[in-house]
Amino acid sequence: MTQETFQDEALTLTLREEEDAVTVSWSGRSTNREPSHFIVPVLSRAMDWGRTKNKLVVLDFRDMAYMNSSTITPIIRLLGRARRNPDAVRVIYRKELKWQELSFSALEVFQTSDQRIEIRGV
Amino acid sequence: MSEVLHLSVRPEWEQIDTARQETVLFLRRHHLHEEAIHAATMIVCELTENATKYGAFGGDEVAIRISVAVTPGAVTVEVKSPVAKGGDDHLRRLDRAVQWIRGFQSPFEAYLERLKEISAQSLESRESGLGLARVAYEGQSILDFFVNEHDVLAISAVHRFNS
Repeated sequence: MTQETFQDEALTLTLREEEDAVTVSWSGRSTNREPSHFIVPVLSRAMDWGRTKNKLVVLDFRDMAYMNSSTITPIIRLLGRARRNPDAVRVIYRKELKWQELSFSALEVFQTSDQRIEIRGV
Repeated sequence: MSEVLHLSVRPEWEQIDTARQETVLFLRRHHLHEEAIHAATMIVCELTENATKYGAFGGDEVAIRISVAVTPGAVTVEVKSPVAKGGDDHLRRLDRAVQWIRGFQSPFEAYLERLKEISAQSLESRESGLGLARVAYEGQSILDFFVNEHDVLAISAVHRFNS
């Protein structure tokens, strides 16, 4: 298992390669003016690993306390791109937190019937 | 009867977190449910981010003025910032965005439509344009705005909750 941690102010991204998945765990708060500069390279790397090693990419938001809309947009773009390509992505969130339920359940619009793109509240 | 928090912050990114913290403390003093606090705080942050990005500072008005009013069953957030004399591109975009959201049956539909548009953009795109749709949908609020005779934009969002 390989693991790398990236931090930008109050946001921490942990990129972990496991046997059957590449996981990006998000924790903290993301409030930067242009968070894409920090987020996109990590997400691109996760997607590249997932594609080349034929693994599911998991985005785990359960430990996020807050994210501004500029943080949500690169996630939406990633899901849009994954939908157009043969990538497999699972988004995990805490459904008992109302803000996470509202924010992430809306992403079900990108879900595919074969669950290649899956939005999962736990 | 309403209780109002008034804040005045400089148009600097770091000040948004100050506004957030003050809002959380104020709403907790009023014993609001955490869900309502989170929604109202998100609204304050998103609207203050927009004011910081697009406000025409440098004239008489050098601060963003934020008010958060608690009434039974509702929190009203208002954020004021200067606009260029005679209006500007930001104001026209804001008007279009608010009208666009109102054109849908529900804020949820507007939010989904915006998600679809954003999903077609490249991963490196710097545009966002999600903030107001998020305020309406996730903040479960009604948006409105006006510009006064001193060229100050006041944008408000009313978040209703079960008390």
